Amino acid sequence: MEFEPIIVGFLCNWCSYTGADLAGTARIKHRPNLRTIRVMCSGRVDPTFVLKAFAAGADGVLVCGCHPGDCHYIEGNYKTMRRMELLGQLVRAYGIDERRVRLEWVSASEGERFARLVDEMTLELRQLGPCKLRPTVAALANDFDGLSRAVTAQVAASGEVTHG
Amino acid sequence: MKDDCRIGFYICNCGTNIAKVVDAEQVCERIAGLPGVACARAYKYMCSNPGQEMITRDIRERGLNRVVVAACSPRMHEPTFRKALEAAGLNPYLLEMANIREQCSWVHDDPRAATAKACDLAHAAVRRVRYHQPLEKVEASYAPATLVLGGGIAGLTVAVELAEASQPVYLVEREGKLGGNVGRADLTAPYLDSARDILAEKIARAEASPKLDILLRSELVELRGFVGNFRATVRTTGGPTRDLAVGAVVVCTGYQEFDATRIERLGYGRFPDVITSFELERRLRMGRLETDDGRIPRYVSIVHCVGSRNPRYHPYCSRVCCMTALKYGHEIKSALPAAMVTDLYVDMLSFGKGGEDFYRRTSELKTMFLMYEKGDPPRVRAAEPGDDCGLLVQVNERLSGEVIDVPADLVVLMVGMEARADGGDVARTVGISQDRQGWFIESHPKLAPVSTATEGVYIAGCCQSPKDIPDSVAQARAAAAMVLAHVAQGKIEVDARFAEIDPDRCSGCRMCNELCPYTAITFDPDERRSSVQSALCKACGTCVAACPSGAITARHFTDKQIFEQIEGVLAWSSSRSS
Amino acid sequence: MADRKLQVALYWGAACGGCDVAVLDTDAFILDLAAAADLRFWPIAVDGKYDDVEAMADGELDLAIFNGAVRNTENQHVAELLRRKAKLLVAFGSCAHLGGIPGLANAASRDEIFHRAYLANPSLEEGNVVLPVTEKKVASGTLEIPKLYRRVHKLDDVVPVDYYVAGCPPAPEQVKAVLKAVISGKLPARGSVVGCSERAVCDDCKRRKEEKKVKRFYRPWQVLQDPERCLLEQGIVCAGSVTRSGCGVRCPNSGMPCRGCYGPTAGVRDQGAKFISAIASIVDSRDPDEIASILGQIPDVMGYAYRFGLPAATIPGTARSL
Repeated sequence: MEFEPIIVGFLCNWCSYTGADLAGTARIKHRPNLRTIRVMCSGRVDPTFVLKAFAAGADGVLVCGCHPGDCHYIEGNYKTMRRMELLGQLVRAYGIDERRVRLEWVSASEGERFARLVDEMTLELRQLGPCKLRPTVAALANDFDGLSRAVTAQVAASGEVTHG
Repeated sequence: MKDDCRIGFYICNCGTNIAKVVDAEQVCERIAGLPGVACARAYKYMCSNPGQEMITRDIRERGLNRVVVAACSPRMHEPTFRKALEAAGLNPYLLEMANIREQCSWVHDDPRAATAKACDLAHAAVRRVRYHQPLEKVEASYAPATLVLGGGIAGLTVAVELAEASQPVYLVEREGKLGGNVGRADLTAPYLDSARDILAEKIARAEASPKLDILLRSELVELRGFVGNFRATVRTTGGPTRDLAVGAVVVCTGYQEFDATRIERLGYGRFPDVITSFELERRLRMGRLETDDGRIPRYVSIVHCVGSRNPRYHPYCSRVCCMTALKYGHEIKSALPAAMVTDLYVDMLSFGKGGEDFYRRTSELKTMFLMYEKGDPPRVRAAEPGDDCGLLVQVNERLSGEVIDVPADLVVLMVGMEARADGGDVARTVGISQDRQGWFIESHPKLAPVSTATEGVYIAGCCQSPKDIPDSVAQARAAAAMVLAHVAQGKIEVDARFAEIDPDRCSGCRMCNELCPYTAITFDPDERRSSVQSALCKACGTCVAACPSGAITARHFTDKQIFEQIEGVLAWSSSRSS
Repeated sequence: MADRKLQVALYWGAACGGCDVAVLDTDAFILDLAAAADLRFWPIAVDGKYDDVEAMADGELDLAIFNGAVRNTENQHVAELLRRKAKLLVAFGSCAHLGGIPGLANAASRDEIFHRAYLANPSLEEGNVVLPVTEKKVASGTLEIPKLYRRVHKLDDVVPVDYYVAGCPPAPEQVKAVLKAVISGKLPARGSVVGCSERAVCDDCKRRKEEKKVKRFYRPWQVLQDPERCLLEQGIVCAGSVTRSGCGVRCPNSGMPCRGCYGPTAGVRDQGAKFISAIASIVDSRDPDEIASILGQIPDVMGYAYRFGLPAATIPGTARSL
């Protein structure tokens, strides 16, 4: 069975959520992989939400707001733009492929664009495979399983190991 | 979770709109097993009276204290279901909706995947609603006076309507006289009544009204406060600066015309006989339909869509130019029956009442219509000495596919409407937003066309988008009606969703102070704490996300509620087989 | 209680020793402690064996103070042991509280750490590679050393904790506060961070705070600072706003930006995410390229965001470490 990624979406109420609704009223079919959470403004999206989504098992996170200059709250989306930029740096440091976190501008009239965006991201994440970032403290008991084969093999290859 | 939650879950079939793709029974079954869910039901039409009654009855009989409705978009029926909760005496904010129609059944074909998604969305809603809190709306008084910005046809209409309803109005006009762009026109399409007459009637009423204070050569420099309770600072050139207490502001600042020199090939500014539509209006008003050097033109060429419907300048249609151009054909032919009038157009948009009829009548006047390609405007050059005319207009004629030189003594450019260059200042001062072209944005294009992001601030006329006089007047009267409805109540309910700062957690770091677009956050330097003026807050939540101390809460969009949603949408899906 | 001395144990897990020094840093108070308490177990200061602790009855200790993170099987064993033997277990210092500086190891995989330490260390003598093994059979039996976990954990990841004392190291005032509270029996609410404020460092920082709009970020040495004004407003990346107060504003008062060792305030779930949200919010630009270039001036975002608390983050380590 083909891997089906789950994407958590944070959509602003005025533009992007309305755009997603428009995709619905216009019956623009798209992949069923997005799980949307409505916020009043993309400026409400605390970077914690994005990290939390990954920690809870999301394969990707899509944040959508009004186009720059079109924000219902005048300039909330510029704050989102800045936060997502710095969050992007952290996400890369975590070793999360940056294609898993996207910030996109979707207006209330861009139902078609929204649908294509969901399809595009779904296909991309299918290729990337699952994001295995769901940490389990419960696995602590099995945390240690000796040195991995990689290091052992390296040591064996060097042939100069003294067992201390 | 809260142990005392008794959640009622309702899934709507929406006839077959939802049920033909989403297995509502299966969703019900899975949700019924979640902690706190007291009942789970599916019904044909939840928004119908029996559907709403089902909810009210269950709240009463089963002691529900939370409700989740999985149905259409909350943008559609959230108010309906909130009323159902209220009818049973439950606070309306104890409702959460899962959007399984617009964002699920209408856009997905695979019943299995759509049902899984509906389960996830419903699960998230159930987990979120457990942390909902009853919220009370806040009441504030509503000052009866209104500030109207702009003395054009829209502003005049608003001001007159309000003043004649015995409400005080301040009409602020930047120029030294009233009338705006309509004051620059001669006759109006399609009924050819005089713009002067239309305006004179309004201006006379305005000047006669004791309730109406006309402030010419004035502008708004600052707007503080909130709906019902604004303080406006208005500065008059050579006069006093006034501080006005107003309940509402109606912005009617209009438009400016496109600068035709930007399209070089049209020759505007190079050839004195290439003029704009406004310049022609002026000549028509003066009764001098002649060329720059006072000759009677034998050939008049009218170029449509100058700056409009052109991807390089403005992609939108300016809406009035086609009809105005037809009016010119009519006026020119009436004055100079021998003149040859050529319309160079992209598409003829003669929409609206009387429009098509006017098109038919003017085309019977034997004007010539030549079509050019959008984005490829005609090129104007000086005629050769031997030619019978002053100018030649070269057009790539679309229907014939030929390059045609059209003779012209006078070229009229139908300059489009564009947002005023100083629109950004106005937007910032009153706290409204602009779209990419600079037009002010309404709350909802269909359902709330004159409201804006700032409660108590309305827009009417061409500052919102290009429109003709009837539409401007209709919007103006709509805005006046909105204001009067609030004034009649004398008070305003402020949305219960706003941000709150816990003074026991605020560290006075001032991180949030500059972030609020509505200046709803004030800093008390003595206490070293920030606080939110709830009536000013629009609940965007950007300060909440920024607050490094976690001192700001977004009512109805708390961190906890959103965390629950995140875990809810993933609880079943992330354990999927892959 | 009056005729019986407090029975106290102190232990260090994955730690630098600074926390133990912080206990000694209470000056004359240490004598009050010695008068009021029997120090039953304190590896850094007092001779003792794990067997001595094993031999105690459950709950025999009144207080166990655990500093350091949980990095290996030994740390976990002692954490569980002390939890069993002590009525109160205190996570002491940033490492036990949040994972601390050792927690930054969660940015790398254990293999990488081993490789760096034992195979690619520039101080290694050529040809003399020694790789530790956890078990070795020798003539007299099997020798064992503790096993290193894949990740660094904070104390409450492995055992329930009664109180937290924040700081790297905790300020002497906090050390006294927790000890006094136990000695007097006047204990705060269980689970609280003892002796700290609910607010951030900014609340106690005397620097002037005005408009927060930043066009450029600096390392402390790159700019001549105004000693009166908020460091962040001067573009110096200070974590004071996302950090619980209680340290006495030690760093900003000395002209250095706060580094966040007291962890997030009570209202914040993830200190690093809040750091990102707050810092990015005040960048004074609307142009994506300029925003990227301004924020690019902050080196090692993960290090800044989670210097003392990666194991306590929403995502407690990089993909490689998990």
